[in-house]
Parts: sequence; C-alpha cells; structure tokens
Amino acid sequence: MTELQAERARERTIESSAVPRIETRSKRLRYIDVLIAVAAFALLAALPFLFSSKALIDFVIRCAAFGLFATSLNLLVGYTGMISFGHGMFFGLGAYGFGLIMQRTGVPIPVAFIGTLLITTLVAAVIGAICVRLKEIYFAFVTLAFQMLIHSTIVSWTSLTGGDQGLRGGIPRPVFLGIDLSNQMHLYIASCTLLVSGLLLMRQIAQSPFGYTLRMIRDNASRASFIGIDVWRAKLTIFVLAALFASTGGIIMSLFVSGAYPEFAYWTISGEGIFINMLGGVTTFLGPMVGTVLLLILNDTVTRLTEYYGIVLGIVILFFAIGLRKGLMDFMVEWCEQRRDGAKERA
Amino acid sequence: MDIDALTGCLASSACLVTQTTSGFIIGMLLFLVAVGLTLIFGVLQVVNFSHGAFYMFGAYFAMTAYQVTGSFALAMFCGAAGTAILGLVFERVFMSRVYGGDVLMQLLVCYAFVLIFDDLVRLVWGPEFRSMGMPSAFQVPPLFIAGGVVPPYYLLLIGVALAVAAILGVGLARTKIGKVIRAAAHNPGMVSALGINTGLIYGGVFALGGMLAGLAGALAAPVRSLTPGMGFSVLIESFIVTVIGGMGSIFGALIGALLIGMIRSYGSLGFPLFTDGMMYLFMVIVLVARPTGLFGKEVA
Amino acid sequence: MLEVKHLSKSFGGVKAADDITLSFAEGSLTAVIGPNGAGKSTFFNLITGALRPDSGHILLNGVDMAGRSPPDIVRHGIGRAFQVARIFPSLTVHETMLAAVGADQRRASVLHRRFPLAETRDRAELAMEVLGLTGKRDRTAATLSHGDQKLLDIALALVLDPKVLLLDEPTAGMGTEERWRMIDQVHELWERQKITVVFIEHDMDIVFKIAPMIVVLCYGRILATGTPDAIRNDDAVIEAYLGTEHAGAAA
Repeated sequence: MTELQAERARERTIESSAVPRIETRSKRLRYIDVLIAVAAFALLAALPFLFSSKALIDFVIRCAAFGLFATSLNLLVGYTGMISFGHGMFFGLGAYGFGLIMQRTGVPIPVAFIGTLLITTLVAAVIGAICVRLKEIYFAFVTLAFQMLIHSTIVSWTSLTGGDQGLRGGIPRPVFLGIDLSNQMHLYIASCTLLVSGLLLMRQIAQSPFGYTLRMIRDNASRASFIGIDVWRAKLTIFVLAALFASTGGIIMSLFVSGAYPEFAYWTISGEGIFINMLGGVTTFLGPMVGTVLLLILNDTVTRLTEYYGIVLGIVILFFAIGLRKGLMDFMVEWCEQRRDGAKERA
Repeated sequence: MDIDALTGCLASSACLVTQTTSGFIIGMLLFLVAVGLTLIFGVLQVVNFSHGAFYMFGAYFAMTAYQVTGSFALAMFCGAAGTAILGLVFERVFMSRVYGGDVLMQLLVCYAFVLIFDDLVRLVWGPEFRSMGMPSAFQVPPLFIAGGVVPPYYLLLIGVALAVAAILGVGLARTKIGKVIRAAAHNPGMVSALGINTGLIYGGVFALGGMLAGLAGALAAPVRSLTPGMGFSVLIESFIVTVIGGMGSIFGALIGALLIGMIRSYGSLGFPLFTDGMMYLFMVIVLVARPTGLFGKEVA
Repeated sequence: MLEVKHLSKSFGGVKAADDITLSFAEGSLTAVIGPNGAGKSTFFNLITGALRPDSGHILLNGVDMAGRSPPDIVRHGIGRAFQVARIFPSLTVHETMLAAVGADQRRASVLHRRFPLAETRDRAELAMEVLGLTGKRDRTAATLSHGDQKLLDIALALVLDPKVLLLDEPTAGMGTEERWRMIDQVHELWERQKITVVFIEHDMDIVFKIAPMIVVLCYGRILATGTPDAIRNDDAVIEAYLGTEHAGAAA
C-alpha cells in the first residue's frame, strides 16, 4: 500500500462518520432569508406607529428607492464582476418612463408599472447586447457613455420630457385595489413592499444556480466558458435583471417627488451607487442596503450642518478607501470571523 | 435641431474658418488634459478621476497670479507649476496607497478628492463665476482669415499645445527619461530591479500629467469663465477623448481631441441642445466598433 | 478513441505544430514529453479548441473537433487541467464541484431554485473523492495549497465526465515528494475511472515509471512514440532530449 493510499484510508475513516456539513447547514438556512424578509417588513410597517415622524417616513421611502438601485448594482459588480458606471440610466428610465406613461395615458398604476419594466427590459437588452462583451474598464466607459447619451436626450427632448426642468405637473395617481398612492402612508407601505419583495427576489437570484454561475464568471470567466457556460448570455441576463430592479427604484423615486428630473439619469446616480456599494461592502448581500442607509444619513446630516458637504463626504470616502479598505459589512463579517476563529483557537 | 444653420455654415468660408478655429481651440485644450490622463493610465494603470481638478486649479492659480502680478507669463507658469506640485503630492501621499488594489478603491480616492477640491475652491475663491480677462498683450484686433474671425490668442493657444505635443512625443521616444517612463509602463518590476526609483517615476508622471492639465486650465483662463465645477465637464470630455483615441496613446489623444473639438464646434450649430449627446453618440459608435479606441493598445 | 491527423499550426514563420498524426487508444495513459518550446502546450491548445488549427483533423470517436469552440469540445468529452490551476478562488471546493456539475447538466441558468441542486450532489461527491479532496470540501479554493489547487483543477475537468482527460504538467511547481504523490493520484484516477488520459510531464523519472506509452515532441513534430523502453533506446530522442542519463543500455 503506498503512502498515499494509507493516508486516504485514514481520511475515509474520519470522514465516514461525519455527515457533509454543507448540506444540513444549508437546508436549515436555505429559506431563512424569507423569514428575515417577513420580519423586516413587519418592523417597517410598524415604524410609523412607533414614531410619528414624517421625516422618518420620507427617509425610508428614499432608502427603498436607492436600496433597490444599489443592491441591483451589486448583482453586477459584486456577484458578476461587471463594473458598470452607467447603471443609473435605468433609475432615470424608470422614473421618466413611469411618469410619462401616467401623465400621457390614463392607465392604472399597475399597468404603468409593468409597462415601464417592459420598456426597461427592451432598452437594457439592446444596450447590454452591445456592452457585455467588453472587458472591464471598457465596459465601464461604454455604459457611462450610454447613460450620458440618455441623459442628453432627456435634457434636449424638451417637448417630451420638459428638458432640464424635469417632468412637471405631477403624476396622476388613480386609486387601484383600494390603494391611494397620493396618501403618504399608502406610498410608504407600497415602497416597503417593493423594497422587501425586490430584495427577496434579488436574493433568490443570488442564491440560485444562476447566481453561482455569475460567481464563477466573476472569478474566472474563461474557465467558466470551458465548463460550458455561455458567459455572454449570462452577463446579458443579469444586466437586464439588474436594470429592472434599478428601474423599480426609479419608479419609487418618481412617485416620491411626484415627477422626474434629469438628475435621476445623471452619472452622479451611478457614482453614488458605486459609492454605496463600497460603503456597505460588496461581499455580503445586504451590504448595499447598509450602505444606502449610511449614505442617506450622511447626506442629510451633513447638508444640515454645513454647506461644504463635499469636503466632509470626501473625507468619509477616504476613510473607507484608505483606512478600512473595505465596506462596512465586509469589515463586520471579517471581524466576526476573526473573533470566532480566535475563540476556537483558545478553546 | 438646426440643420440649416449647419449646412449654411459649411457653405460659407468665413463660418468655416471661425468654427474650425473654435474646434481647434476646444480640441487643443482637451488634448492637453487628455494626454495627461492617458499618460497616467499608460504608466500607472490608474484612471485618474480627479484629473479635472488639476485643470480647475491651473485656471484659478493662473487667474490669481495674474491679478497679483499682472504678468501673463507668470500666470501661466504658476498655473502649470502649481498643479505639477499638486500632482506630485497627491500621488505620493494618497494614490500610492491604493495601487495594486481594487480599481474601485482608486476611483473612490479620486472621487473623494474631486469633492474635496471643488469645495476647497469654493471656500477660497467663492462659488460665483470669476474671470481672468484677456491679458493686455493680447488685446489686439482679431485676424481676419478668409473672412472668418480669429483672435490672436487662439493662435498662441494652438501653438503652445502643438509644441507640447511635439516635445512629449519626441521626449518620450528619444530621451533617457522617456525611455525609462515607457519601460516602467511595460514592466515596473523590472525597472525597479534595475535600481531605478519607480516611486519617483510614478510621482513624476503624475506631476507631468497634472501639469499638462493645469497648463490647459491656465491657457483657458483668459477665454473661459472660472467656476468650482469647471473641472467636471472637462474631465468627462477628456475621458471621452482618451477612450476614443485609445488609453495610453498620445497620438490617439491628439486625434480624439481634434475630433471632439470639431464635433462640439459644428455640433453646437446644428444641434444646440444635443451637442453633448452628439459627443456621447460618437463615443458609443467608436467603442462599439473598436473597444480599445482608435489607437489603443490591449490592456494587459 | 482520440485520433489526431496531420494537425498543423503556424505562428508567423514558426511551425508550432507540424503535421502531427497520433492515436490514443481508449483507456490509455500517455505521456507527452519534449524540450521546452516543442509545442506540447500548443498541442493541447489545439485539441481543446483554445487554438484553431491551420489544417488537420481531431477525431473523437470519429467526430471531428477541429475548429470547434472550447465549450463545444468540452461537451463532446475532452477535458483539460491547466499548468497553472484555473479555479474559482472565492468558491469552496464543494461549491466548485456542485456548480461545475450543474453547468454540465445544463442547469447553470436555473433561477427559481436554490443552489446547490440535489441532482448535482452525487457526481460532485465522487469527483472530490477520486481526487482526495473530500476532507477539504469546505475550504475556499483560494486558501488551498498549490498542490491541492492543482487537484481541484483536475477535479474540475474530471467532474464533467470527459472521455479524454488532458493534464498539462500536473506536477509543475512541486517538490519531489509531492510530485510522486500527485502522479500516484493521477495514476489511481486513471485506473479507477478508466478514461483516456494524456499528460505533459518534464520529470523523466516519473514518466518512465508511470506511463505505458510516451510521445516525444520536438519543434512541433513527433520525434518518436512508443513504450518507455523503446523511447529510452531511441537514438534520435537521446540526442535531442534525454542525454545519456536516461538512455537504455546502449550497444
């Protein structure tokens, strides 16, 4: 018996008694995120009754809009390794699409919602088909170029979009299924519903076999191709799916401000999206959500205290980029793991 | 959309001269900014997102120097030298910490400084539009070429930019320093192993790139208005130029800049509201056809 | 099983593959050796579709693979492990196996179920066992030792049920003892799975001990093929490559 065979025999005796860990663990935890989602929604729904603050309600609605946007960007950046600088175009497209459909046609809100998503699918499919075959930095640039192209179109097509004034006249909100979106509370609950269900859907995508295909593409696209994965098709699919969630965020935003502004399609939205992802961390699913809350709190607090918001934000960014060198959630996860390993060693 | 204005212009030699010169100016200024960007990318593999800030500081330094000393030459010098130092410090103190790491982290550091610099300028010089005014040396009657109006200052601008292009081209190709820089772009480890201080090279390249952008800002100061956000639109356009021309290619930056300059100039005639859009459309077309740009090299 | 006929590929003026004709019987174990630059990796690249041949045929059970895309060739049953392990650093060993099986079962795009799919477990388990990675199933690929990463690389090729397995320098970068363990593993794998295995190797001691058949490449051409004894006594091979250390008893 060679040494190798002996070693393997030893291994087998040890292993045969242990049930593979990954299977039982994952069975238990597999659908725990649904439970967390339900609990989170219940908490959010209860918030207005615990704190009767309009500012808080508004804050949560904005978190819903940006949270969906940022998490969808993480599907591209964190899970697939596709760094898009132009993801904001779908946020703007959602806002303008929904606003225009509601203003120009008399359809019910759910129909306008679906309609906007259909338009987004079409635009994302076309742009994605052109862009996803590009590598890294070039993908980033071309997506940015497309976004700025859309932004320019919005600003110059004054007759349709109101130009740089934005969509004026408010968004009609006919009641549907007893839901009146001109009522702040109804809008709040609707936003929370969209947020929680959107996050749950994105979580499903991330934890599905497709989600692991994306991780393989991120880690080693050429090997993934060798295994038989159609890399281009997978990238295009996630590009379109991510666009849909970003668009939903834009719809929430347009309902919130009762209109749509060119800023929603400007590159700064994409920049903030990337920044949120770095703040919260790209290796955990909820990192972007944490980042969204942090950024919005930062925005609100700093603009209240000083007009030199840029300097403060800049210093905060430097702290994360040079100091922590990773997002908050990434940092926390690592810190927890280190403590756990330390405890194990001591035990 | 105003196609008639465009076709009308193409038929008139006066208009052609004016618009082409204007396109040249825009192009040459963009070239100076873009070539710094492409150099920094070529040698350091870093996309310097804060490049527009150097342009802005060049303009503001020049304006202040002119207001204090009344000398155009000194103003230009201050603009260029100030931004060179800024570039060196920025690179050595901050950028060098994020090399080799996540591209996103590098981008974030640059983005952070864009925010900080813009606010700093607002703090020091105020948020209103400022202007330097045309130096008295150039307050001479414009030249008339083929019926078109050409301010003499424009000629100086174009001349300086072309001279810089020539010096850069020759300098990088022929001098020892140029060769070292090009070697560092290809294989920094080897250059370092040869005993050459790569830190100095990186700092130097950043200083050079910053200086070029600052020079562009200083040159533009007499003919543009100054505002804290001015760096940003220049940044976007110089990015477009660099990407169209090909990251890392100086010649590409020149061609790209001229193309964008012409598109802006003639585009603002025919498509006054959509001028930016024309540029982005052009960028999309070029990148779809040639993802690495017109003269770009494959990034390793 | 795998037949290569008049395979040629040139780069500029250099003939990386020069009219190569070879046949690999089903279930055989063959070593491909030759000096650096002989075209061994090019040969693998041509067979797996990473390079397009200028001319020639690559017949897998009669079906011509020449000119097809790499994923297509993988589907037909040619698997490859790389000289430098190409793995997925952030996935664990187990996840890598499960995901690869899922991809092979054409379930890589499933959105409505959770990973890992139940039907992928068995094959993943087997592949890990064959390569001795079962004990390291929960280790992240990036944290594995160099040798284990190469085993994972082989497992990744193996888990797709290939008919032919190409191993590009499986012992590269290892110390002497680790080499023998690796090659023992390869040998055991070959005996157990009964697939056709071709491997590139530089260590002549290993080659002559393990491989029933040897192919010698030089300057893109086949210099000699045969059993270890035949190769050891082949004058051309001795002159071009082996030197007298490994030469058989000469006259």
